[in-house]
Amino acid sequence: MTGKFLSLKGEGYNGFVSQLKHANEKLDAFNFIDEKEKNGKIISVKDNICVKGMPATASSKILHGYIPGFNATAIERLENSGFSVIGKTNMDEFGFGSFGLNSEHPAKNPYNEEYVTGGSSSGSAVATALIKEHVSIAESTGGSISAPAAFCGVVGLTPTYGAISRYGLIDYASSLDKIGFMGKGADSIREVMEKTVGSDPKDTTSLSKAISNKNTHKLYVIDNLMGGIDEGIKDRFEGLLAKLSAKDYEIEHVKIDYLEYSVPAYYILSMSEASTNLAKYQGFKYGFKVKDFSLNYNDFFMSARKQFGKEAKRRVILGTFIRSKSIKQKYYEKALAIRHAIIARMGKILKEGFIIMPTMPIFTPKISEVSDISPVEAYSMDMLTVPPNLCGFPHISFPYFYERGMPLGAQVITDHFNDYSLLDFLSEWESGFEYKFKEEVG
Amino acid sequence: MKIGLEVHVALPTKTKLFCSDLAYENQEEPNSNVCPVCLGLPGAKPVLNQKALEISAGIAKALNCEIGEKTWFVRKVYFYPDLPKGYQITQLDGAIGIKGYVDLNGKKIGIRRVQIEEDPARIIREKDYSLIDFNRSGVPLNEIVTEPDIASLEELKGFIEELRSILYYQGVNINQELKTDLNISLAENRVEIKNVTGVRNLIAAAEYEIKRQSALIKEGKEISLETRSYREDENETVSSREKETEEEYGFTFEPDLTFYDTTKLAMQKAVIASNAAKELADINEYNEKTIRELVLFNKRNLSLLEGISKEEFKKGVSLIEKFASFGIEDYSEEEFMKMLKRDVSSIEKDSFLQLLGRSNKTEEKADKEEIESGIKEMLYLDKTLLERGINDGKAMSFMIGKVKEKYHVTGKEAADFIQKVIKSMLNN
Repeated sequence: MTGKFLSLKGEGYNGFVSQLKHANEKLDAFNFIDEKEKNGKIISVKDNICVKGMPATASSKILHGYIPGFNATAIERLENSGFSVIGKTNMDEFGFGSFGLNSEHPAKNPYNEEYVTGGSSSGSAVATALIKEHVSIAESTGGSISAPAAFCGVVGLTPTYGAISRYGLIDYASSLDKIGFMGKGADSIREVMEKTVGSDPKDTTSLSKAISNKNTHKLYVIDNLMGGIDEGIKDRFEGLLAKLSAKDYEIEHVKIDYLEYSVPAYYILSMSEASTNLAKYQGFKYGFKVKDFSLNYNDFFMSARKQFGKEAKRRVILGTFIRSKSIKQKYYEKALAIRHAIIARMGKILKEGFIIMPTMPIFTPKISEVSDISPVEAYSMDMLTVPPNLCGFPHISFPYFYERGMPLGAQVITDHFNDYSLLDFLSEWESGFEYKFKEEVG
Repeated sequence: MKIGLEVHVALPTKTKLFCSDLAYENQEEPNSNVCPVCLGLPGAKPVLNQKALEISAGIAKALNCEIGEKTWFVRKVYFYPDLPKGYQITQLDGAIGIKGYVDLNGKKIGIRRVQIEEDPARIIREKDYSLIDFNRSGVPLNEIVTEPDIASLEELKGFIEELRSILYYQGVNINQELKTDLNISLAENRVEIKNVTGVRNLIAAAEYEIKRQSALIKEGKEISLETRSYREDENETVSSREKETEEEYGFTFEPDLTFYDTTKLAMQKAVIASNAAKELADINEYNEKTIRELVLFNKRNLSLLEGISKEEFKKGVSLIEKFASFGIEDYSEEEFMKMLKRDVSSIEKDSFLQLLGRSNKTEEKADKEEIESGIKEMLYLDKTLLERGINDGKAMSFMIGKVKEKYHVTGKEAADFIQKVIKSMLNN
């Protein structure tokens, strides 16, 4: 590598693509790179968002070979505004993962390949770290933008639920899925976001409400969320708060009831929805096709469903269990009640100011450190990213500190439809902070 | 005896329930009216057909249902090749109508629920393979679930007749498409006969099943809890030999849709023609059965009879019968009122038509050959018409107008004739 960001400016698109392919051999950021010449501004797109004519696999074997004949609305709007898609980025299968490891070829952290990228939008974070003038169109259900943004040292914005059409997004959990953005700073994300927001007649859950930028200098820290956090992370985060205080931000500590239940509530709801969203993969219309038509339907169907990875199978089985008649009230309905209770309580605080917290409760782990942890341990890593996602509140993760060469991310949350205030906050932060993107990869 | 029904009827909308593909027109070519939504492709999302919602609310209202302020959808999850998403979008707790009834001469047959749902695709079974036609996938249906309140075959017939009339006034014709699951229990155990098609088969299946269960009871045998199917050719029900386990569909809220406000829907007026007939007969001291026959399946007759005074009523009824006996179906309100002022009690058809202002000659439709040769003549006289042909909208509507005027056929009939003639002329 040349010690520079990959850039279109210089060797033209062909040169750029060959560099990108070279980098991708090491880092597995992309599932697909389009070699057709691109003009204008470039974006990469998470592989669970449909781009007409490009493969869309959601990193699942069951979707190998699926090439959608239509664009997601977000992509349609961006292409109409002069953006070109250079490729589809790696991810945890169907978005199921916090580290990027639930993929056939997991993406590697650009700062150090022994470390995880975070997930599920793993490839989008790596691509953003690698390419100079570029934004990645990613997606978050429970933290899939914030987590990889934090571990890969880039900015990740998860918009208000419904602000951006989900048409063309391959569903994980429809009531939680949000298309969002990863970039190197506030301005590039703002430009792309402005082109994609707004209601869409093809997505009933998209909303037409205007997005505001009501700014505030009040920052709330939620004390009862800080309990399970690594001491080192707590310490660096205190440092961030001190810097913000010095910039005229007023810090207040609060406690929000029920927040400790947000992770179980999230997993109950998301698995329940995921188990129905994955029911369409049956191995005969698109993607992976079962060849043996002599099988009876149940066997045919089962041989298709074997293609799911371990985590996908786990979520389908648990989600199906949660939906069953005899126990629905015990888990699903309680989880819904928790969700509403948290929305009300967080919403009240967010009327008064931003909420701020570290993005992840741990320092970026090595792949070897987390590849064997239990699902419950892995899910608990989402304790900070899940609350805003569960409630559909917009949030942004940004790098604020570098430790032993690795970035640390913090997360700021605001009220529904106040997304642009997060970008204003970030612009202010950027003016006094130097990002250290990992441009040297090799 | 307890009989309960789950009746499925197709709604008269132009397009499908969750996408803009045609629901009923141009269906000849299999898999031609399909899109990412009704094929269940990854990334596609359903959008509710507002018209289907309005029609369903009208049906729920006509069935005396409670209509909640909000209605919503659920996913019913099961695997079958005709179900492209692996779940059917349907309704349960948030159904458009609940707790209704149909009044059957004073006895109320409870309606548990009216729910909106999508039809699965059609499976075409061949000898050693099956084909799937997704044209039907997503066609809008209402499922009407009754309480097991029907207590005899006569009541079942009466209920279906009443339901047919109620739905007719909402624009739904159950003669065209009706699929029913029939539950019958003469003893303790319930027998379900699944997927009976059409009204005639429904009655026949019930009749057979009542006989079968009665015979078993007489012999002192037990009736087993089971699912059966009706075989039209043999006119019998046979056991489906399915395991009787409790159905587990894992119903869950449909998060790709939303909560729909029912308070501002443009709903059709709920007309219960049998009630209206009874009222008309009471007010006008007339035979109820006659009025029922005139209005049960004819909206125009009901509004005409409702619009006249008691003095004119008897005359109005005989006038309608007169129209019917002369085979005139398209009488307007003006024509009806005009003829009501005349004495037509012993009039012959020719004079009746003259009074009506439709002379006998023009009233009779010309025969096929006459129309076709007339069209040929028109095309010979004006060759440009033939050249511009059927794809030219202006030329076509000009010709349709001419043919309609001259031969008193409908626009569609005229178009069909013209197309046929042009094709034959171009082929020669």
